[in-house]
Amino acid sequence: MQTFNYLRPAHLDELCQALQQPHAKIVAGGTDVLPQMHTGRLQPALLVDISRVSELEGIRIHNTQVEIGALTTFAAIQAHPTLRAAAPALTQAAQWVGAPMTRQRATLGGNLANASPAADAVPPLMIYNAEVTLTSAKGSRSLPLAQFLLGPGQTALQRGEFIQSVRFELPAEDLGSAFLKIGPRRGMTIAIVSAAAAVRLSPEGRLEQVRVAVGASAPTVIRCPQTENLLHGQLPSAELWQSAAQQIAVEISPIDDVRASRAYRRRAAGVLAVRALQAALSQAQEAAQARTV
Amino acid sequence: MKPIEITLTVNETTHTLITLPNRTLLDILREDLGLTGAKNGCESGECGACTVLMNGAAVNACLVLAGQADGCTVETIEGLSKSGQLHPIQQAFVDAGAVQCGFCIPGMVMASKALLDHNPQPQEEDIRQALAGNICRCTGYTKIIQAVQMAAEELRHD
Ligand SMILES: Cc1cc2nc3c(=O)[nH]c(=O)nc-3n(C[C@H](O)[C@H](O)[C@H](O)COP(=O)(O)OP(=O)(O)OC[C@H]3O[C@@H](n4cnc5c(N)ncnc54)[C@H](O)[C@@H]3O)c2cc1C
Ligand code: FES
Ligand code: FES
Repeated sequence: MQTFNYLRPAHLDELCQALQQPHAKIVAGGTDVLPQMHTGRLQPALLVDISRVSELEGIRIHNTQVEIGALTTFAAIQAHPTLRAAAPALTQAAQWVGAPMTRQRATLGGNLANASPAADAVPPLMIYNAEVTLTSAKGSRSLPLAQFLLGPGQTALQRGEFIQSVRFELPAEDLGSAFLKIGPRRGMTIAIVSAAAAVRLSPEGRLEQVRVAVGASAPTVIRCPQTENLLHGQLPSAELWQSAAQQIAVEISPIDDVRASRAYRRRAAGVLAVRALQAALSQAQEAAQARTV
Repeated sequence: MKPIEITLTVNETTHTLITLPNRTLLDILREDLGLTGAKNGCESGECGACTVLMNGAAVNACLVLAGQADGCTVETIEGLSKSGQLHPIQQAFVDAGAVQCGFCIPGMVMASKALLDHNPQPQEEDIRQALAGNICRCTGYTKIIQAVQMAAEELRHD
């Protein structure tokens, strides 16, 4: 590996200081940075290792507010019982990131900062309307996740800033949600297409609070507001799902790449998003039944 | 590039080393401590040949910087056999015929140990998921999965 200067701050204030220096590059779990440094594709002059900044770790839940520190690993997210019960789309995404060894090191902050259109944490966080808190020596600011992600590999992070945490409102019990991805194999796979969906059932059995996010099908993960509108207030039916799948194919802008063709992605995204909606719906139905019993 | 000082406990022995920040845990194990069981297959987190346990969890040693291993407890394949006796997982790999060239095996065994330490009665699906990041180019996975099942049984009877 090439040479670099190395700083390992232990606290937030030291981290803010370290990032004041020119050409500072953050490393957290290193699952993206290290492979690129081994090949020489990434050659930072100064590597700031944030893995010991304890303030960035952990999952905190106050009342209905969830705050996940940037250093939280996918292994920790996957194992968290409250998230599993109330935000299962995030748990499902976490449990299929890479292999167990990847999840032990890969952090939520690294997944977001990468800004990959295929990043698995993003579709679930989009349907939970998550906000990202960014901090620098100058202070902190919060942005909706959709405004943080600007394009492939591009974020709203400014010089000296780092991701401190991600926050969202813990969904109500009757909001069902789910995440699915398609890849060449089930484990250890970067998504060809991914989708997260959330839905609630009205007492008359109509779809409410419909939220759909699709990954690896546009420059960033996107919500599909037209599909959400199309579904809102409707009674679920085979025809309805079919028109939702068609609407999703219109809303996304996939590309041809090494993993799949644009045409395949259009078809697959519609099918996958509908499956995620149906999984979310059956969870919402269970919640509704539990209420009436 | 300034050298850094790190302290880590490997297979129950504590070492303090002066090293360079651009070295990985895998470099330290193989080059400084002479523990060449963990292999360098890809240096990109894809193959699992470098799998060791860090603070009890399986990690890819090729993706851990020296400075990130500071203060940690590491267990490698060399730490498994006690007084000349193979560990039950190692013995099961031998008995099942799950080893051909052996390049992937230290990683396979350590990933299996991480699984069995936390889940003594894994289903086949659990084993497949635990080994999803360990690639074997010669034995094939059927016998490896059988070996983990045999090891689980043996460890339960111990
Ligand atoms: C074998 C393998 C399989 C993988 N499979 C998947 C998968 O299935 N799904 C998936 O989504 N990803 C996958 N990845 C990619 C990667 O593991 C994830 O994106 C992971 O979440 C990155 O986190 P990290 O802590 O390792 O990031 P690092 O490598 O440490 O950093 C990644 C980027 O984020 C920046 N960064 C890190 N933390 C912060 C912060 N707090 N503030 C600002 N910038 C920060 C770094 O500067 C760098 O640019 C895989 C990687 C490997 C090696
Ligand atoms: S050498 Fe580390 S995963 Fe291949
Ligand atoms: S035994 Fe040869 S790679 Fe697995």
